[in-house]
Amino acid sequence: MKRIETEILVIGGGATGTGVAWDAALRGFKVVLIERRDLTHGTTGRYHGLLHSGGRYVVKDPQSAVECIHENRILRKTHAHCIEDTGGFFVVTPEDEGPYPDKFVEGCAATGVPCHEISIAAALRREPLLNPRISRVFEVPDGSSDSFLATHATAQAARQAGAQLLIYHELYSLIIEGAAENGTQRVLGARVHDAAKGHDVEIRAALTINATGAWAGQVTAMAGIRISVIPGKGTMVAMNHRALNTVVNRCKMPADGDIIVPVHTVAVIGTTDERVADPENLRIEPWEVNLMLEEGDKMVPGLSRARVVRAWAGVRPLYQEDYAGASRDATRKFALLDHRERHNVAGFITITGGKWTTFRLMAEKTVDMAAEHLGTRRPCTTASTSVPGTQQGAYWLGHRLHEIEENALQGELICECELVTRAMLENAARQNPTITLDDLRRDVRLGMGPCQGGFCTYRAVGIVHALGQAGVWQGDAGHQTHAAEEWDVAMMQSPAHNVAESSPQQGTADRAETCTPRLFNPNLLLRDFLQERWKGVLPILWGRQLKQERLDELIYLAVLNADHLPDAALTSPLSEFYRFDTTPNDKEVRA
Amino acid sequence: MNTNTSRGEADLLVIGAGLSGLMAAWQAARAGLRVHVIAKGAPSLHWTAGTVDVLGYMAAASATAVADPMNALSALPGYHPYSLLGAAQVRAALADFLALTEAAGLPYVQGDGNWLLPSAVGALRPTWLTPQAQAAGDARRTAPMLIVGFSGLRDFYPHLIAENLGKQGVPARAAMLPLELISTARDRNAIHLAHALDEPQRHQALGRALRQLVQPGERIGLPALLGLEDHGATWAALQSAAGAALFEIPMLPPSVPGTRLFQAIRRSLRDLGVRVDMGIEAIRSHTAAGRIEWVETATSARPMRLSAACYLLASGGVLGGGFDSDHTGRMREVVFDLPLTVPQRRSHWFRAEFMHPAGQPVFQGGVAVTAAMQPCHPDDPAQPLYANLWAAGGVLAGADPIQERSLEGIALTSGWAVAQALARR
Ligand SMILES: Cc1cc2nc3c(=O)[nH]c(=O)nc-3n(C[C@H](O)[C@H](O)[C@H](O)COP(=O)(O)OP(=O)(O)OC[C@H]3O[C@@H](n4cnc5c(N)ncnc54)[C@H](O)[C@@H]3O)c2cc1C
Repeated sequence: MKRIETEILVIGGGATGTGVAWDAALRGFKVVLIERRDLTHGTTGRYHGLLHSGGRYVVKDPQSAVECIHENRILRKTHAHCIEDTGGFFVVTPEDEGPYPDKFVEGCAATGVPCHEISIAAALRREPLLNPRISRVFEVPDGSSDSFLATHATAQAARQAGAQLLIYHELYSLIIEGAAENGTQRVLGARVHDAAKGHDVEIRAALTINATGAWAGQVTAMAGIRISVIPGKGTMVAMNHRALNTVVNRCKMPADGDIIVPVHTVAVIGTTDERVADPENLRIEPWEVNLMLEEGDKMVPGLSRARVVRAWAGVRPLYQEDYAGASRDATRKFALLDHRERHNVAGFITITGGKWTTFRLMAEKTVDMAAEHLGTRRPCTTASTSVPGTQQGAYWLGHRLHEIEENALQGELICECELVTRAMLENAARQNPTITLDDLRRDVRLGMGPCQGGFCTYRAVGIVHALGQAGVWQGDAGHQTHAAEEWDVAMMQSPAHNVAESSPQQGTADRAETCTPRLFNPNLLLRDFLQERWKGVLPILWGRQLKQERLDELIYLAVLNADHLPDAALTSPLSEFYRFDTTPNDKEVRA
Repeated sequence: MNTNTSRGEADLLVIGAGLSGLMAAWQAARAGLRVHVIAKGAPSLHWTAGTVDVLGYMAAASATAVADPMNALSALPGYHPYSLLGAAQVRAALADFLALTEAAGLPYVQGDGNWLLPSAVGALRPTWLTPQAQAAGDARRTAPMLIVGFSGLRDFYPHLIAENLGKQGVPARAAMLPLELISTARDRNAIHLAHALDEPQRHQALGRALRQLVQPGERIGLPALLGLEDHGATWAALQSAAGAALFEIPMLPPSVPGTRLFQAIRRSLRDLGVRVDMGIEAIRSHTAAGRIEWVETATSARPMRLSAACYLLASGGVLGGGFDSDHTGRMREVVFDLPLTVPQRRSHWFRAEFMHPAGQPVFQGGVAVTAAMQPCHPDDPAQPLYANLWAAGGVLAGADPIQERSLEGIALTSGWAVAQALARR
């Protein structure tokens, strides 16, 4: 078995785990991170896209509000290009009368969340589609954020600081020394399975950090530790119409479907919150979609009649404290669990809960605890360290179109909906560890627009296949090299940055081990990506999106006959996931 | 509101300019009827492979292609449009289509059984009639293939096609040529490229380049952009310059072969004096005493009422925009509000897999018709709903034409049958 030695092993490649790896590497620790699929494949890649100002929590959860506004200010600097400064409104709709708005104003003052009441007329001038029947509007510094880009940029910063990030590496057991009966056990690392190469790896670490979000309870169970993490599923619906340039929240106690976030070209309505048995259970019920549309209409009347692009769900880890010992770590809005203190299991820490907005803070507290376990004190520097890519400045909606036009790249577009050029796709495929087209989607937003992969899936398969034939497609998940020679991941969404790159002939194959042939199979790439897109449109197929779906069938069945390609019976690392994920449901009403 | 009514001019008002509507119009006009065709926009013909798929796969055994649709028709369920039409009408309609395309200068050819033609991913498409320029790709023949693509053309990947053909036992290799041989324009839309190749210098240069690439005994597969207006001549000239059999492989939309077919039929209709108005959307209708009185249309100027002795709904179902639906799971036929045989709940419309071998249930649904292609009562398939209304093509219930690869076959034969029925009246 292949063996790796490290000081800190981080399990989970979401915002939190990646942030921990970045922070720890900056503090000079030797770090290895494992993620069983692609970075952001978990909740981080399925969230609402809101950079919280804290406004949502000022009444219900002031501590969270304080954390959010603190981090909001930091991330706007450290991750500038991943954040759009939309600003946010809290609006009082006719259904939200009552004492809440006054409590909201008091709460903002108490927690330090900047908040100004503006006139309805001013609000409507800025957002003409807003419900004109609202009675009050408060402005707060919400923003919208791209967690794919932010996490990739953080990952690159971590690698530049020396961390090793292994994707498609799944933890299957912890290495444990000692026995529960005689009091102390110690976690010595983990055994993981490399899905790309099909072999196992043993990773020995002085400290193991469990940052698996909603899966955290499954991981602690491997050390015999029972914690209560209940997955809560939240569904979001993306409308093919940005409708707003400002985040709009209802000014009331947080509930379902009360926020609309403009992200890139769409407006996302969310979310629900439903307990589910398994964090992999991401089925979306018809009632959830209907509820999001109804609630969305209360803020932007008629929004429900716009075309819906897609629906998706993410899972929140609902951590329930059952530890009686008064511990400093139990008071946070995220759960940082010291298993040495709580369960007599040394060398093991769990961090779960929290928000995307607070991932940096969570990482800071986690690495503080890690340093203590490792017997040193080293200061955190992430709050004042920008990740790569921030030189592009804050995100703005028109940046892709602007760069395409300025460089006359119209003829190079592979995905017209999201303005992805051939060079962007080729660079992402070649340089970023990629084994599915879905990974490329997260990298460059391939297939995320209205046609949901109708045209670009075929093109992407053809391009990636050509790279593979030229021997330059890495496709070697987990095989990471050091920063200096690395493609600039943080710039992967910029058309202008990805022109005039080296031709596919002169690639980086020499530094890549080849991976198992099944991962190069273009027919599986095609099938799996079409299925992944299907999963997201299935809950929202009616009207124009249904017609679009039928056109996609015309293309993939009638014109390409893609349902009769060779190798159809083979499985890929993702085929099982997609199958599990998509069973249609018929719960028309909430249980 | 101010509306204009145009009365009684036409014997037949056809709603929809897809294959079913156009075929019906052609056949009815040949029988001496006055026909008016209106359509909201370009038909799905512009997105297809341009072949005539009659029956490629049977729902029950969709892994293997149907060898000969004419032998398989009898195995279809009784409610299937082909079963309602009967094999004799299916044959007669397709024979007339061959005559139409021959006369229009865009000849289609029938093989012995379904052709198996390479797709742009290298899967083999079972199809019954193919434009002449695709026929040499038939994978039932053993001659090796050279698949030629153009660098920078984003909708054609010859190496992918060749690799998949190889996996299926069809010997194939791939080669690339510079796109500049065809055009240096920035716009690389297939239609523009096809248009550019109509120019003799361009196709001569391409022909010479192909001659250098090809080895003896090989046939050459190219993206379907070998000429548009002068396609026949372009294809023939290229073939002789290359010194090898050439075949086109249809690409993603916009479809050059589909566009050629649309233009060829429109020319034929023009010669017959049929009026075809694009950009006119039928939005509702008025009925009285079991008859359609008029159809209301939306144009940019003002609503209009069109009336005719008979009406054909050929608006193409979900794909053509003939059916609309909302998030409550209500699906309706837009013009006549005809009953649809679609599952009542949206959660029953689909299956978990995109490429499920049995297709998506929602697309089996549509307008149920009598044996004479008249929309019928929900509980009595022999009873027409309106005395002067017919339906054809993608709106018909009882088949998923994309799933079973019968899209063009059902459209042509049902459209033809409506015209025959009207001519007999
Ligand atoms: C519906 C919804 C909407 C949200 N919206 C917002 C918002 O708008 N703004 C905001 O700030 N926050 C939001 N949040 C919260 C935010 O998304 C999460 O707090 C954050 O993404 C959690 O990141 P994480 O890294 O802790 O977890 P995750 O992103 O879930 O990462 C955990 C990772 O661990 C991996 N893993 C699990 N098991 C294993 C194993 N055995 N081996 C290897 N890897 C494993 C998983 O694949 C996963 O990638 C939202 C949450 C939900 C559910």
